[in-house]
Amino acid sequence: MIALGQQIENKFLTAVNRKSGSNILECYQCGKCVSTCPVSDFMDFPPREIMQMVKLGMKEETYMANSMWFCLTCAACSGRCPREIDIPRVMEAIRHLAIEENVNSDNPKVKQIRIFHEIFLDMIKHYGRNYELRMMAEFNIRTRNLFKDMHLAPKALLKGKIPLGHEKVKSAKAIQRMFRMAEKLEKTK
Amino acid sequence: MARVGVFVCFCGANIGDFVDVPAVVEEAKKIKEVKYAIDYKYVCSDPGQQMIRDAIVQQRLTSVVVAACSPRMHEKTFRKALSDAGMNPYLLEVANIREHSSWVHQKNKKAATGKSSDLIRMAVAKSIANEQLHEISVPVTKRALVIGGGIAGIQAALDIADARIPVVLVEKSPSIGGKMAQLDETFPTLDCSQCILTPKMVDVASHPFIELLPYSEVIELDGYVGNYKAKIKRKASYVNFDTCTGCGACWLKCPVKVPNEFNMGIDKRKAIYSPFPQAVPNKPVIDAEHCTMLIKGKCGICAKVCEKGSIDYTMQDEIVEREIGAVVVATGYDLWDPKPYEEYGVGRFKDIINSLEFERMVSANGPTGGVPVRPSDGKVPKNVVFIQCVGSRDEAKGIEYCSKICCMYTAKHTLLLHHKVQDSHAYVFYMDIRAAGKGYEEFVKRAQVETGATYLRGRASKIYKKGDKLMVQGEDAQIGQVVEVEADLVVLATAIYPYKDNPDLARLLGISYDKYGFLSEAHPKLRPVETAKAGIFLAGCTQAPKDIPDSVAQASATAAKVCGLFAGDTMKKDPMIAHVNNEFCTGCQNCVNVCPYQAIVTEEIPLGYGFKELRTVAKINEGVCQGCGSCVAICRSMAIDLAGFTDMQIINEIVAI
Repeated sequence: MIALGQQIENKFLTAVNRKSGSNILECYQCGKCVSTCPVSDFMDFPPREIMQMVKLGMKEETYMANSMWFCLTCAACSGRCPREIDIPRVMEAIRHLAIEENVNSDNPKVKQIRIFHEIFLDMIKHYGRNYELRMMAEFNIRTRNLFKDMHLAPKALLKGKIPLGHEKVKSAKAIQRMFRMAEKLEKTK
Repeated sequence: MARVGVFVCFCGANIGDFVDVPAVVEEAKKIKEVKYAIDYKYVCSDPGQQMIRDAIVQQRLTSVVVAACSPRMHEKTFRKALSDAGMNPYLLEVANIREHSSWVHQKNKKAATGKSSDLIRMAVAKSIANEQLHEISVPVTKRALVIGGGIAGIQAALDIADARIPVVLVEKSPSIGGKMAQLDETFPTLDCSQCILTPKMVDVASHPFIELLPYSEVIELDGYVGNYKAKIKRKASYVNFDTCTGCGACWLKCPVKVPNEFNMGIDKRKAIYSPFPQAVPNKPVIDAEHCTMLIKGKCGICAKVCEKGSIDYTMQDEIVEREIGAVVVATGYDLWDPKPYEEYGVGRFKDIINSLEFERMVSANGPTGGVPVRPSDGKVPKNVVFIQCVGSRDEAKGIEYCSKICCMYTAKHTLLLHHKVQDSHAYVFYMDIRAAGKGYEEFVKRAQVETGATYLRGRASKIYKKGDKLMVQGEDAQIGQVVEVEADLVVLATAIYPYKDNPDLARLLGISYDKYGFLSEAHPKLRPVETAKAGIFLAGCTQAPKDIPDSVAQASATAAKVCGLFAGDTMKKDPMIAHVNNEFCTGCQNCVNVCPYQAIVTEEIPLGYGFKELRTVAKINEGVCQGCGSCVAICRSMAIDLAGFTDMQIINEIVAI
């Protein structure tokens, strides 16, 4: 049972709206996003239900959902949404809010996805682009599954899919500066 | 010698697929009197009608038989084709081989073909005895009666009166205005209801062609289209409206307090009262049920304070009669009583109100000065739960139909609540949002986005009390979970229900009504304004739930119908009515008793043969007779015959098969 009416203001809705730039109140629950979404079958709450949960201010339940972590940001949903809600950005906003409020899902898949996101961002931050070999290695170490997908490595190497050299953009320093500035902005907000 | 032309229609595939039309034509040609028989794809089309016209002239036909669909469909069309060819239109006979043959015998083509031939043979035999008939002219009283002074009645009265046709507007309560006067703002534009209604009310009162009879009821209607006679009871108001200035001294001093119906009983009015400040006419009436002077003969304060001496405790109900030609019924609606909803605690919890009560509270001229309050403690509510479909779409406890306006006014109420109580929140339990109308969907979206109201898809299942709050339980089907809302105030969107006296009124007017009490239109699609009785029209919620734009549109439509009816000095009427042959009439008056239209009276005529005495015979009022034939059947001496369906014609038909 969901208890409603204790608070007049729906702070969660306000936060998601502010961060996503969309107004979730516009959602009229048609479900087009759900049938469009290639991964909605794997989500515990499809996008339409996430919208309604935000409307009802169900913060904890929303944070514990895997939906926003499974979202591929392919934007098929927002391309078809009749209310022009930017659903991938809403998903992103919920991801950010969950991280900001330090809510950690105990779903192992979500944990892996979070680690993947973190490594990826780290890679960009330091080298300006993704270095796949290192990314894979680091992911396997951090998820404690050293030999994951190892059998694919020889084949991929032969086909030149995994460059051995360390790739780096020329002005990695500039990118690092961008990250620092972004972090600063985040703090002052 | 009769020369009959037979035209057999394929009606596309409707007849052609199930009846062997060419064989039917061949069969028709065998009949002695048939000089011309032909088939055609669509006889009702222009080339089809041209065939009839040409054949009449070229074949010198004396009567025409069209074998096609029901005469209800195209009899008029073919009659016109006959008169265009210079033939009396009543020399037409229609053999209904579609509804009576092809449609009902789709599995047996042979039988359908045989039956079609039989029907044609009968029609041919009947047509031989057809006589030339001529339309009857009936005088028309050009005055309309409008029953009900809500927005529909007001609009109908104004539109008819603007066409310079006198109107009698009868309203049962002391003021016109109806339900719309009780509303605060109206969807989807949020115009103030009073601001758009009261000018119209004033127009009604000052219109030279409108006679306004407030505090009155129609008690009898006699006659027929164009010539009705209405008896109207003017209830005793105990106030002389001619001298009363509406100053208000009487109701200020009156000591008796009664729940105020206009404000849904939220506050009190006096026993002498005018329903609301903008009332038209703005004259008070005395409520005889509560006035102590009228009950016990003590008090009389109002008479003492009235400077004009307008109070008259001896006033009696008065019956006035008006001759009218047409009636517009616009009696409006009542709210459905939600008492069966025990799970909501209706009647047990004070803080559950209906939408009209909420409307009065948020109304600027309402009893709480435009702020909603909890009836239990007078506090301003923060969390307000609106429950839609209370009674509507509920076969078990309420009624099956959708009340049409609740989705919209609930959306409006969330906006009004948001405007009046800034830090409030609305929760709406709904089943579907039915916002079909110009600007309606946009309005609902506006309400949802602007107020942030939480829309929960599902019927609330129960309400219980927790402290001074009401806990409303329901499912939100959008996430498939049960929700419980802590509410300060619950507003029930109770269904629109027909005005409770509708069945009585329908019987009085001789029109029909449905199982709920809504008055029935003649055809749900093509004659939505007319009733089955000629000259009586319907406007507004008396026919079905409607919003203001629809009611106004229908009211204007009735005005067009009334004006059309009154366009000439006389009305044309079908000549197929009963006639009495005085030679045979014995004056038994059986026909007088069976006539459902009270069209037969008796008259005295000389006995003849040199006798001075008089004898009684039946006399049929041409204007009233509808040609039903009841009198023909009951007449012992076969003195009555029905034009177009004479005994001779019917015997011919029977002999033909």
